[in-house]
Amino acid sequence: MTEPITTMPSPFRMDYTYVAGTGRSVFLRGLAERKLMARRCAGCEQVYLPPPEFCSRCLRELEPPFELDGRGVVSTFCVVSFPFPGQRIDPPYVVAYIQPHGAGTRLMHLVREVEPEDVHIGMAVEPVWVSDDELDTSLLSIRHFRPVHNGGADA
Amino acid sequence: MTADSLSAAYTVEFPFERTVGPKIGTFLGGLRDGRLYGAQTERGVLCPPLEFEPETGAETGELVPVADTGTVTSWTWVPSRPGDPVPHDFAWALIAIDGTIGALFHVVDVDGDSARMATGMRVRARWRAERVGQLSDIECFEVAP
Repeated sequence: MTEPITTMPSPFRMDYTYVAGTGRSVFLRGLAERKLMARRCAGCEQVYLPPPEFCSRCLRELEPPFELDGRGVVSTFCVVSFPFPGQRIDPPYVVAYIQPHGAGTRLMHLVREVEPEDVHIGMAVEPVWVSDDELDTSLLSIRHFRPVHNGGADA
Repeated sequence: MTADSLSAAYTVEFPFERTVGPKIGTFLGGLRDGRLYGAQTERGVLCPPLEFEPETGAETGELVPVADTGTVTSWTWVPSRPGDPVPHDFAWALIAIDGTIGALFHVVDVDGDSARMATGMRVRARWRAERVGQLSDIECFEVAP
């Protein structure tokens, strides 16, 4: 009699091309120079980081890019405790939504150089950039965010 | 500041595995052994089998060996792409396996000549020499002599 099979492989794989668009490309090129380039909407005063070309609320073209220093606060976070294929860091580690000062939007990034149990909402953080030879048109140009230790009061 | 857009190549990949359940598990085990199985139901033997009979919802019965020959009930012609089961143009077809109800979806290989395809044509499974318990253990169906 036939011995049943219990599992079957069902791999999923998709190759694709990500096109950043003119607006996002401004942001990505800034990252390669350790700059966080934001843009403001003249209609509703929303400041986007990363900025698209047009305001998603007013549909107006955004004003010229300007630089933010990247300091901000943790607006929410999670502790990743679970291993999964392709993971770059050993768990547990913290992934947070960070509200940069001067921006109306949030960036998702790692928060490190702090124990996961010490991370809290409202914690002041700053970006840690990679070395010059690792800089790229990528959010990975920021290695992670870390707590601001000197003079960075919690919001 | 240049106005042109950056772009980059990406790949997303997930190494999923499915649990298949006892009936499809036996069907797949049969493929590994080079045999087709169907599940007994009140309406007849269902091939490919399911855990439940699709019309009444009743649980299907024991799995029984069935023939590896059948009749094409419908088909569509497709150009060959890398990774396809055969290296030239072929048909995807619904095949009514002899003595069963249901329809098995598989490749029919007619050496790239779509003029040889017809509903009602008789086909036979071409089994791979190395089988692992997947539907691709049947390389394709070919015209039955």
